[in-house]
Amino acid sequence: MVKNVKAKKATDKEPEYIHIQIDKPRRYDWSTGKYVGHFYAEAKENKRIMGGRCPKCKEIWLPPSVICPKCKVEMGWDWVEMPQTGQVYQYTYLVFPLWDPHYGEKWANPYASAVILLDNGVFYRHRLEETDKDKLRVGMRVQAVWKEDYDERGQGPGDILYWRTIEE
Amino acid sequence: MQTATEKLEGLDVWIYHGQIYIPNRYSAGAVGSRFLIELRDRKRIMGTRCSGCNRVYVPARSICGDCYQQLEDWVEVSDKGTVLTYSVCHEDNGVQPVEAPVVYGIVQLDGADTGFVHMMGEVELEELRIGMRVKAVFREDRMASILDIKYFKPL
Amino acid sequence: MPNRVGIVGIGQTYHAARRPDVNQAEMVAEAVRAALEDAQLSVKEIESVFTANMETFEAIYLPDHGMASEVGALGKPGFKVNTGGTTGGSVVAEGFYMVASGLFEVAMIVGFEKQDCGDTTAAISAAATPLWGKGATTGAIGEFAKQALSYMETSGATEEHAAMVRLKADRNACKNPHAHLRLGLQSIDEVLKSGYLVWPLRILDFCPQSCGACVLILASEKKAKQITKKPVWLVDVEVVHQEPFRAGVFGDPTGKETYTQHVACERLYKRNSITNVRKDIDLAEVYEPSNWEEMNLYEHFHFCEKGDGWKLVEKGITEMEGEFPVNCSGGVLATNPIGATPVIRVAEAALQIRGDAGEHQATKDIKTAIATALGGPNWTVLSLLKRSL
Repeated sequence: MVKNVKAKKATDKEPEYIHIQIDKPRRYDWSTGKYVGHFYAEAKENKRIMGGRCPKCKEIWLPPSVICPKCKVEMGWDWVEMPQTGQVYQYTYLVFPLWDPHYGEKWANPYASAVILLDNGVFYRHRLEETDKDKLRVGMRVQAVWKEDYDERGQGPGDILYWRTIEE
Repeated sequence: MQTATEKLEGLDVWIYHGQIYIPNRYSAGAVGSRFLIELRDRKRIMGTRCSGCNRVYVPARSICGDCYQQLEDWVEVSDKGTVLTYSVCHEDNGVQPVEAPVVYGIVQLDGADTGFVHMMGEVELEELRIGMRVKAVFREDRMASILDIKYFKPL
Repeated sequence: MPNRVGIVGIGQTYHAARRPDVNQAEMVAEAVRAALEDAQLSVKEIESVFTANMETFEAIYLPDHGMASEVGALGKPGFKVNTGGTTGGSVVAEGFYMVASGLFEVAMIVGFEKQDCGDTTAAISAAATPLWGKGATTGAIGEFAKQALSYMETSGATEEHAAMVRLKADRNACKNPHAHLRLGLQSIDEVLKSGYLVWPLRILDFCPQSCGACVLILASEKKAKQITKKPVWLVDVEVVHQEPFRAGVFGDPTGKETYTQHVACERLYKRNSITNVRKDIDLAEVYEPSNWEEMNLYEHFHFCEKGDGWKLVEKGITEMEGEFPVNCSGGVLATNPIGATPVIRVAEAALQIRGDAGEHQATKDIKTAIATALGGPNWTVLSLLKRSL
């Protein structure tokens, strides 16, 4: 039996709205491929930062790529070790906690994230160790600080904890 | 959840076992909310009727796909219906509401012109048949969710 | 020669922070109805529907599948586009290509986002490659904070100039009934008192997260003239992409400079014989994620010389009553449902050309307008609109 039901009259109260909460993480297995994989290998085994050099234009690309973004040729296997010091080219400073979807938790704040110009002219993006915003300056010299425990490494760029300010 | 990077044997290739975890909170909207509240408070399954096409949509929705009319005519449909088709899932995949085997069915309730997807229970897999008559079984503790209907059981 | 494309219908929702009274599909239906009413068309006369949405924000994958009825797309051709921040710009480009090609006569463009369903910054961080993003992702806001810092250093603009831009956006938004943030800001001090979000961006410096949808109905020249007496001509569209992390291909890899804008402008302006931008174009609706970025974009789109963006603000040139009004709608600083935002830019530019913008209509007569979109690693989409062909 089907009954017709008259629509409810609007009341003074706010109508109840239902919200559906979905809180499940979705699991993925991402492959790095050969080139980014080599970066991961050198970072874990030897604590070195490696960039790939294009056979044609000789430009160094970080992260490593299979095709040169500039001249579109295949990159080959020419690797160059990056210096582990550089200067802060540009930075920003977070004062509110960021939810990181890759870890499913909030990052502790405050922290600084910077674009670092390595001593050989290649750019690298990462966090800085310094959490006091007044001590941050464009141009300050920084150095990579690695995770010392071998077993903890193997996360690629995550093997570098942060970049520490070095006094000149 | 732990994330980890694993090296493949013999190759310079690494697999990053990761996740994407962003909590979400979806609005059911006014129409959806009313449908769910009726399930919770009065164990009634409601649909909306399009007068132009003379069709009752269950679960209730706000717009008719064919004539684009705004649907404001609420109709209660029966908690009994007919199974249009069914499927049995034997694998657990982490997002199902119950453990495998999960029996899904598309049920057309008496008074509705659309089928809707739900689970079937209190039924042996051999008994499942297209055309079988079923009845909704509601949970005791209802939360304005589609799962306030526990499953449909055979009549 | 491509066929000519006219905008014959414009509709948008009243954008808001939260819309618990509708689900995503119903919210889109509001904008679709508004556009159909504007064009005086029925849903049956829409030949194809193209939707745009960044799914990760709401985590509703394939949202177009669940809203075929609400969008009036049952049984019709069309598909969904997602290109990050430029999603709405890309769907406008898509509709333009479809109608200009002659294969479709009427295309409905739908941009939408219901950001109260998820965490937007987390979703943007999720878009960063998981293999390389660790330690470096700060969501979109981190990137714009870095750009703000470099603009401050290189151009001589001060926080007061940025605050002036924010005041302009709010003044204009208060006259736009569809805008989300209509704060009634009165003074520069009010802006400067708001706290830092991601230094040097303050809470008021950055765009909000809104729920909303915007719909355009495009038609071929013949059909457009049948449908309405006031079609707005979508004359040209330009799309330029680049890569994150390795953006050096266009010059500066850090994103300190935004090069896709230069490339896009050069091509679009050349094709349309635009030599003196502030003379040949009457109004701009730019996609500015932050007030600092707006000044930067004035320079990159050649509204002024390099380094002079803040001078346009100081002289009031970009006000609603000014010589070259920018963002009379309040811009992205007032309203930002990401999938819809670039469509709103085109819609608002079209309203200005039609003279239908009501209280937020620019003082001078608008015959030519440009709408921009920005997203991801500085992708750019430009749209050029004209009153007459």
